[in-house]
Amino acid sequence: MVRLEIFGDCRASEATLLVSDSDRFVPQLPLAQLPTQAPALWDTNGHMNDRISRIVIVGGGSAGWLTAGVIAAEHRIDSQAEHPFELSLIESPDVPTIGVGEGTWPSMRATLQRIGLSETDFLRECDASFKQGTWFRNWHTGSGDTYTHPFTVPIDYAETNLAPHWLALADAPQFADAVTAQTALFSDCLAPKQITTPEYAFVVNYGYHLDAGKFAELLRQHCTEKLGVKHIKANVSQINATESGDILSVTTDRAGDIAGDLFIDCTGTKSLLLGEHFKVPFQSRQANLFNDTALAAQVPYTEDEQPIQSCTHSTAQTAGWIWDIGLPTRRGTGHVYSSAHISEDEATAQLLAYIKETAGDKAAAGLVPRKIPFQPGHRREFWHRNCVAIGMSSGFIEPLEASALVMIELAAGMIAEQLPPTRDVMDIVAKRYNQKFLRHWDQIVEFLKLHYVLSARNDSPYWQDNRAAASIPEKLSEQLSLWRFRSPWHQDAGAVDDLFPTASYQYILYGMGFETMPRQTRSYQQSQRQAAELFRKNAARATQLRQALPGNRELLNKVREFGFQKL
Amino acid sequence: MSQYEVLNKEKHRQLRIKTGYGAALGDAVMYAMTYPMEFRDIQGCYPILFTKDPNTGGFFAAAVLGFEADQNLFLQDDTWDASYVPAVMQRQPFLIATGGEDDKQAPVVSLDLKHPRVSQDEGEALFDAEGGATEFLNQKIALLDKLHRGLQHSRGFIDTLLKHELLEQITLDIAFNDGRKESVQGFYCIAEERLYQLKGDVLESLNQAGYLQPVFMAVASLSRMRDIIERRNRLRL
Repeated sequence: MVRLEIFGDCRASEATLLVSDSDRFVPQLPLAQLPTQAPALWDTNGHMNDRISRIVIVGGGSAGWLTAGVIAAEHRIDSQAEHPFELSLIESPDVPTIGVGEGTWPSMRATLQRIGLSETDFLRECDASFKQGTWFRNWHTGSGDTYTHPFTVPIDYAETNLAPHWLALADAPQFADAVTAQTALFSDCLAPKQITTPEYAFVVNYGYHLDAGKFAELLRQHCTEKLGVKHIKANVSQINATESGDILSVTTDRAGDIAGDLFIDCTGTKSLLLGEHFKVPFQSRQANLFNDTALAAQVPYTEDEQPIQSCTHSTAQTAGWIWDIGLPTRRGTGHVYSSAHISEDEATAQLLAYIKETAGDKAAAGLVPRKIPFQPGHRREFWHRNCVAIGMSSGFIEPLEASALVMIELAAGMIAEQLPPTRDVMDIVAKRYNQKFLRHWDQIVEFLKLHYVLSARNDSPYWQDNRAAASIPEKLSEQLSLWRFRSPWHQDAGAVDDLFPTASYQYILYGMGFETMPRQTRSYQQSQRQAAELFRKNAARATQLRQALPGNRELLNKVREFGFQKL
Repeated sequence: MSQYEVLNKEKHRQLRIKTGYGAALGDAVMYAMTYPMEFRDIQGCYPILFTKDPNTGGFFAAAVLGFEADQNLFLQDDTWDASYVPAVMQRQPFLIATGGEDDKQAPVVSLDLKHPRVSQDEGEALFDAEGGATEFLNQKIALLDKLHRGLQHSRGFIDTLLKHELLEQITLDIAFNDGRKESVQGFYCIAEERLYQLKGDVLESLNQAGYLQPVFMAVASLSRMRDIIERRNRLRL
């Protein structure tokens, strides 16, 4: 065997770097601009008010450790400091984490970078791969139709709305293909970057697929070894209140009482602090989104170097849909469905049929999917007194747009940035937090419901029930009425921190054949030539990307061998 | 395309290698890889920047010869207009492969049979009538040996630059006299501000490893950028 050494040839054409697309799809998680001048913390007698300096997170998993990482990276944990700041995480050694939520948004790149993890370590340790969007199959008619929701906004989206121009085209390619070059990478399982692209940078925007168990483990290690988070392995047996009703401390079975100023509930669906202790009511969203059960199964690859998909695959069934996520070592699949519309046996049979179809009979033989029942919905408020719930303790909804991890990132980010300096101002922050996250939940419900409302499937009551007017949130009904006459664009954005940008609505609407009859306005006519040019430019960019970008598997193998450079 | 083979005195007995310079001989390249032990010679003629190997993402030093793909501004028909030609160009069409008969890691002399310098009837012979290496081949082997050692030393150099965060991205935005603008991306240079903040013990360790002098040579070499911009301007006027 002859292995060639470097310096064979170094032609510039091979090394030309691609310029990245804009990153506007990412929900912004800006680094906190902490006030340089601390607010007055001392009363006139020279006594410090109730400074918030001890944070206690109850529960590990992705939610607990991600929250710990984001807060600890922002607030220096230093026992020698004048005002020491402590962050402890109490994790039960007996309760296994549930380990769902294997898809992230592009925001995760900024979050990991903020925590101080290297992307190379993250990819290697968490069996992670690159996710560039979602590929939907059988959602529209149920007879083999497909469309995509990529992580890149349409070309020139800030300046030009291509949707009306695309609608006017006679022989148009699919909407996403016409307006972004990213989808051209999906059919051949191509990666969003090259090995020469620095870590966390991209050629086209991406998030990750990952092994949630390994992710929590990596975060735990990083938080405890690098960020100074105190890890307490114990079970919480009792919650102790102050006279005012705040949580004073939690009593544990093997670490005594742990006192804190702010308690973060990451105890999963149990919702130990917010739900059980404070009795904050649960708000069901099942009237809008019916799915309440998931059956999860891991599927091995059939060949060693089988390509790894660039997207989450989502295939609609008669009473739910099947997710399919490609990790380097295995695929993760699952059927999420409405137990009111299909029996567990039938749902299992559909999942096994899917696995047979995509991985062969052998892969399906003997597979027993793990059943995860859940209640779709969320707490009425998330921050109550000195306790805030993050992750499944605050709510859970089907993973159709992978919103679980991004909600944790947003929650942890807001707490890190707006951490109340004293108990006095905590209620103000809590009020704003609750308003913001209720708005996020509403939007998640509306945006997920959009996928069902637009379906033309008539093969089961599930799809018909999903289109019943009573099941559609009012805001979504209104939007759909408006969008019959103009396509969503910047004017439809509700707030700067909207979870789903208007571009995402465009991808779903026009991916599923929604008809908009735009007016022939002056601005439309003025942008016609520009639009034709953009369609051409996009097609050229797609060709260029397809030639330059490696396969996901190839790139991940290189990351394993060489790693990404930091710059 | 390339076709690499380990040099074999039976199989390659009749091969000849074209000497001289020219685009047709494969010299029209935008940059040439270099290494710290060569920086003294390189910096007198070319700017030294750093770029990434497209196969591994790893950094290497490069003598910049042009501003776009296949543009070598030092090439004028059949002459290379500089007092020193980078070793990585002089060694063509030879390279080093690993994989000796006994020791799989041993470096062995190889060549690219599809390289335009390789000929059946023109140029310098590799072997004499008795099958011994010619003076020409011996010179190339000595050059390869130097290159091999230089590149191995270079790895530690690059790792050290990265460890101390002494590289930073540089984008060359150049407006030429003929009105054309070029934005050259994918290059890195020495981060001078950080270099000047290095403390005594770090400087000493860099010096002992033979890395300190080449760092400053790379910094100084950027003054050669004026020369290649001038060459580019002359090209179009």
